[in-house]
Amino acid sequence: MTAGEVVDRIKKNLGAPWRENTYRDTFKSGSPETPVTGIATTVFASFDVIQRAVAAGLNMIIPHEVTFWNDRDDKSLVDADPLVYQQKLAYLVAHNVVVFRTHDSMHDQRPDFTFVGSAREIGLDAKYETSPGSHRFILPETTLGALAASVQRRTGARALRVVGDPNARVSRVQLGVGYATGAANTAEVDVVISGEQQEVDGVLDSPEYVLDAAALGIPKGWIMLGHAVSEESGMLEMAQWITGLVPEVPVQLVKAGEPFWAPK
Amino acid sequence: MRHRVSRREFVKMSAAGAAAATWVVRPAAIGAVTVTAQEIVDRVRKAVGGEWKTDTVDTFKAGEPTSPVTGVVTTSLATIDVMRRAVKAGANLIVTAGPTFYSRVDSPTPPAGRGRDAAAPPTPDQVFTAKNEFIRANRLVVWRFSDHWRLRSPDPFAEGLANALGWARYRTNGDPARLTVPAIALEALAARVKSRLEARGGVRVVGREQTRVRTIGLLPGTRAVQEIVALLPQVDAVIAGEIREWESSEYSRDVVNAGLGKGLILIGRSLSEEAGMKMCADWLRPIVPEAPVRWLPAGDPYWRPPV
Repeated sequence: MTAGEVVDRIKKNLGAPWRENTYRDTFKSGSPETPVTGIATTVFASFDVIQRAVAAGLNMIIPHEVTFWNDRDDKSLVDADPLVYQQKLAYLVAHNVVVFRTHDSMHDQRPDFTFVGSAREIGLDAKYETSPGSHRFILPETTLGALAASVQRRTGARALRVVGDPNARVSRVQLGVGYATGAANTAEVDVVISGEQQEVDGVLDSPEYVLDAAALGIPKGWIMLGHAVSEESGMLEMAQWITGLVPEVPVQLVKAGEPFWAPK
Repeated sequence: MRHRVSRREFVKMSAAGAAAATWVVRPAAIGAVTVTAQEIVDRVRKAVGGEWKTDTVDTFKAGEPTSPVTGVVTTSLATIDVMRRAVKAGANLIVTAGPTFYSRVDSPTPPAGRGRDAAAPPTPDQVFTAKNEFIRANRLVVWRFSDHWRLRSPDPFAEGLANALGWARYRTNGDPARLTVPAIALEALAARVKSRLEARGGVRVVGREQTRVRTIGLLPGTRAVQEIVALLPQVDAVIAGEIREWESSEYSRDVVNAGLGKGLILIGRSLSEEAGMKMCADWLRPIVPEAPVRWLPAGDPYWRPPV
């Protein structure tokens, strides 16, 4: 089983056309000819994830996100970096590790595992979704404070951030993933739960909007899990799916985990 | 609005006050010397130095520039809460680092939104409507001062942040964006940042709690990964406003996992610019002698549930 064969099976079974022009879903390290000993799915192929995958005997990493800290994995960004790029690259080469990103293809696939995983982890049950794939959930009415506490408990996110009045009565939740985060002023949505989004100078700056809504007594909430927490849960579904496609080698989720902690 | 003083009451209070000579009535309050919002902006443009950009967010966002100014408020974010406090303080000109209407475009009506015809009339939005109404009812004028304020050297946002952290004296070579402080663990540094800035949930850290920090780089505002990659090798810790997580915080995580004792502390865009707007109030005061100038912090937008 080579890395190229694994990728071919993903493409063939995706159920959506493969984007031939994608710069995202490509090999970031290693070659398609490399024999695969095992596969790790993860949100970020962080240095730590790579080391743990190697220790577990897995030499192919399938991350949803970038490896070299920019969307194109453009190495010119980090060529000059004296700290870590050379070390990370040297480690990948020394351990014959293949990295193949699945980003666009995951979001093209139905269902999109990033949404499935995040909804599962947060506890947004399918019975509350307005229609399959709407990512909009009508929950029994609660408060923003109680909802945020429940989200924090379930995800374990230490540094999740919330904007809005904790006492606001809310029920309509829009789930986003990663940076694909709905705007807080979307009609018929009380709370947006997602990964991250620009705070200021975007198309609709939700934090400021929610602050103003709270000042007016309009129930709105904004719960940001962080990009990694938001999109890592679905890499479990991804691992399960790839297990079915590639029974020849072990497949497992190797969590990058939340990069942040919060001061007391 | 129950605390608002009616015009008649104000006249009565002013007359009583003047008769008793117990308060100093500022010239602007009795209409002897007035300055308009436009005149203040003209003075700022002259005083700030350098060429005025043609493509800039530093424009009037709401209100009538010809309005006589009763008081000036500077803030990092012109929220409704800040506006209410400004009105209570008798100020009618808000000078803000951030947008008023929730976007870089800062249009007083909501954006068309994904998949909607940009030419179609905007969907009514009660938050936009209420904010516009509040501005109108209180005859507020809002002017954004961001692009040109941050171009000053030294960077007033970095200088303000260093001051707010209580570390003005620890500048490295006079640069307020580079501090050399008595050794402090990353955990204690993050706690200090949180308490000094009166943050609630906006502070997030990448790094090991016990990492020893002596040199700190300040990057307030929204910063590109190139800036983080350039600065982190030179210091023990970077304190930044906002970044993109798939870029800068992941880079920092890898730096830490490579065994290099470094830290990244994120405080959010708005909170990171708060102290720089306090500096702006101090800078404006002598430029606008006709009206009181005060800084009103917008506060940390974020909180998190107790664990």
